[in-house]
Amino acid sequence: MAKTIKSRVQHSERGAVRSPRKRRPPVRPLPDLGGPALGGELAGAEAVAAYPSLETLSDLAGGILESLAPRLIRDLNHEIRTRIAASPIELNGYGYDPWGFNTEVACRILLICSLFYKYYFRVQTYGIEHLPRGRMLVIANHAGQIAIDACMIGTATVMEANPPRPLRGMGEYWLPTVPFVNVLMARMGGVVGTPKNCVDILEHGEAVIAFPEGVRGMNKPFSQRYRLQEFGYGFMRLALQTNTPIVPVAVVGSEEQAPSLGNFTALAHLLDMPAFPLVITPFPYPVRYHIYFGEPMEFRGNANDEDDVIGKKVAQVKKRIHDMIQTGLRQRRGIFF
Amino acid sequence: MERLLITGIAGGQGRLVAKRVADEFDVSGVDRAPWEGRPHRITVHTLDLRKKKFEDIFRRERPTAVVHLAFVRHFRADPSVRHEINVAGTKRLLEYCVEYGVKKFVVLSSSYVYGALPENSYYMDEDTALNVSRHYPEIRDLAEVDTLCTTFLWKYPEIATCILRPVNTLGYYVHSAIGAYLSLRYVPTVMGFNPMVQFIHEEDVAEAIARVLETGLRGVFNLAGPGALPLKAAIRETGGTAVPLPEIAARAVLGRLFRFGIYHLPADSVDFVKYPCTVDGRRFREATGFTPLFTLEEIFSSVRR
Repeated sequence: MAKTIKSRVQHSERGAVRSPRKRRPPVRPLPDLGGPALGGELAGAEAVAAYPSLETLSDLAGGILESLAPRLIRDLNHEIRTRIAASPIELNGYGYDPWGFNTEVACRILLICSLFYKYYFRVQTYGIEHLPRGRMLVIANHAGQIAIDACMIGTATVMEANPPRPLRGMGEYWLPTVPFVNVLMARMGGVVGTPKNCVDILEHGEAVIAFPEGVRGMNKPFSQRYRLQEFGYGFMRLALQTNTPIVPVAVVGSEEQAPSLGNFTALAHLLDMPAFPLVITPFPYPVRYHIYFGEPMEFRGNANDEDDVIGKKVAQVKKRIHDMIQTGLRQRRGIFF
Repeated sequence: MERLLITGIAGGQGRLVAKRVADEFDVSGVDRAPWEGRPHRITVHTLDLRKKKFEDIFRRERPTAVVHLAFVRHFRADPSVRHEINVAGTKRLLEYCVEYGVKKFVVLSSSYVYGALPENSYYMDEDTALNVSRHYPEIRDLAEVDTLCTTFLWKYPEIATCILRPVNTLGYYVHSAIGAYLSLRYVPTVMGFNPMVQFIHEEDVAEAIARVLETGLRGVFNLAGPGALPLKAAIRETGGTAVPLPEIAARAVLGRLFRFGIYHLPADSVDFVKYPCTVDGRRFREATGFTPLFTLEEIFSSVRR
């Protein structure tokens, strides 16, 4: 709540600085309808803010939504906002961090994610207390055709870790070319996965999540489930270069959410996408997610070593994730439970 | 007192630089346009850089420092004239600098030379390739000038050459494409895209150039401002209303307006409102201790409609 009030104050302060000639009506704080705000800050949303009349309308809609929202959602929203406010992210006067992260948008997306987290995928986390303080590189297996695993790990580190750690995602190079998706990605804390971006963010003391399998892992067919694909070496070089601990993470459950029969390569090329999986379900199945956080692994060495040397270190991480996956598979009672 | 020659002195940035360093340097300038109401200790030669008489100024005045600001950055002129002034003009200026023993050479390039590409890192450093010509060939001459000066930097170690690549410059005096764009009442943007953009105040750019002249700094440096924010937030802060257009429409409209000479911005410039072209200013900050004086808020209030 504290964060909400603070950002509202910032809003009105900025309004006061503006020249009186402004034709746009000033943003008024919402009347307190009891309980934490839900969508009351819609005025900050990207597309909505562009239109003066829409802004007031959305304020109104936000107020109505807030009073109608069930207790459960209001409480969840409140929890997310408190947790994000407690996380070590620095914002400028306009509410953005240097890479475009924005609390308002991130909180709204987190709300949706945590509803799925709690009630759809019913995520169980193990070993989240292993997360170190300061910078870290979270390395996980990737599966399930769409990056729900990333969302669930990200929700876990915000909702369950102490202190909450919003994760910075390293996106594919084609993601910035997708309309709307690129904006959402940036507002949630994602960036294009260039080495420079990763080094900058790690040096800023933040937590970065990376999937060294990339699309190879995410879009593999169902017959290959829980078989780790080839790991890229880039993450290890970056960890060595910036002296960052690696947190291995195993996700169990993601493979069954959307089984794929194969890859429609020709169509993928046509659409300029990295892959076009042939999925038989229109919506992911409500599988139960189990997320295992391993103990941080520290590596020392030269970041510019030959691939053989780096590869051995990568293999250690891969082995650890593989072991955690196997343990998880043995321990789970069923795909949906 | 060191003698300083400023090319493009009558432009907004030129005037600010001239006034800023007038106490420490014996300032003279060259520009195609006259500078009415200039301080009387500053001499201005109304002259085209491409004219033979330009060399006479070097012969007569023997400047020890040169600040090169004479670029055509708009698209109202014939592209070949633009190219000639920017590239050939710079080339000739560099030759004179060698010939007449100039000690310091500062050129104001631009962060646009990196180009706005989807795979750009946020906060590109100075070693990033100059990729602008890949999608925006209309301003490749600026990249050529930058490369020309970088080569010059390595070729003549006795001359303290400094190439500054400032981010979007805003302010009262400077006319820039981004300034014109933000001053529209309804600002067209590309639907579904909202990149981070950086701004710097014109006075801070002048201050940075002055610091380089005072210290004789040598190298290539990005000049970043006080921070970055999303394009649409910048539009809101300068008092405009963003109008998101689908990309195809934006390109078609801009392309037609440009072809018929109504709005002088090529369609390829759309990339700069789609993808980030943000730079890392750390190196300059560490070399000179320069921190921008103007905050984002102040920058926007200086151009707010």
